[in-house]
Amino acid sequence: MTTRTRLLDPAVGRALSAVSATAKKGLGDPALAELVVIRASQLNHCAFCLDMHLALAREYGVSERQLDLLAAWEEAEDVFDERERAALALTEAVTVLTGGTSQAFGSGGGFVPDEVYERAAKHFDETRLAHLIGLVVAINNWNRVMVSRRIPPGGHTP
Amino acid sequence: MTTHTETTTTVEYAPERPARLEWAKHAPEVYKAMVRLETAARKGLDHTLYELVKIRASQINHCAFCIDMHTKDALAAGESVERIVQLSAWDESRHFYTAKEIAALELTEAVTVLTDGFVPDEVYDNAAKHFEEAELAQVIAAITVINAWNRFGVTCRMAPGHYEPGQYK
Repeated sequence: MTTRTRLLDPAVGRALSAVSATAKKGLGDPALAELVVIRASQLNHCAFCLDMHLALAREYGVSERQLDLLAAWEEAEDVFDERERAALALTEAVTVLTGGTSQAFGSGGGFVPDEVYERAAKHFDETRLAHLIGLVVAINNWNRVMVSRRIPPGGHTP
Repeated sequence: MTTHTETTTTVEYAPERPARLEWAKHAPEVYKAMVRLETAARKGLDHTLYELVKIRASQINHCAFCIDMHTKDALAAGESVERIVQLSAWDESRHFYTAKEIAALELTEAVTVLTDGFVPDEVYDNAAKHFEEAELAQVIAAITVINAWNRFGVTCRMAPGHYEPGQYK
């Protein structure tokens, strides 16, 4: 497995970083941001992003128990609170827009279900929600540019 | 947009659903960064190809707003109705598209449907045959950006039907 290309236009890279940074700042919850970003990276199978954000999550003090059980958060009710669960459900819906066969979304999928959106809207005001959606979009961006170019994990130093 | 008048009958359409969230208003810095990303990603790419990529990704992600916008932009730029209509079945209508466009469409699908697993070597390698390295990086960036707009559009339920070609240019 070798890297396909490391090329990425610097202006594209800067704009991708700006989308991430502004969304994360507006969400105002670095630990939750890492849970969201790691869950999306699991769904998109991005090794580089998982490696980087698992390290960041530990820096922010996210517990090992949460990181261990994140891929099965729905079955781990005692480990994630309602706000985290609402954010993770939204993360999955926004990430798996295509529906299809993803295990995270069963055989249905497509769109963002009303119940998922409304559950998130109960826990996040409109400003936080807009930034939470922005954060899910931002990590989906990175997942795409990293997986496509096959950037290996390990390049990130905390 | 709610009625369509035939010669003798009037058909009632379902009502338009309101948007869930004016995300750009609530996250203006994120929106500005997205606009910069859009500008950076389209740099150096053929406009015809760019719109095909945008429409195909929007179809796969079911983004009604983006489909509305990019089909209108493509038509305004001289794209044929036939090529737009056939796009969701391009694999069966390859003779409507160039080999380079097909390579880009294959890559668009693979990069868009990441949740079903990676980007296959044969898809990447075929794209790499048709695009030199820097241009290919731009195609990947372009696919990434339309995926981003699709996510905002679908999640916030932005309503299709109101876009005028070139509105955001």
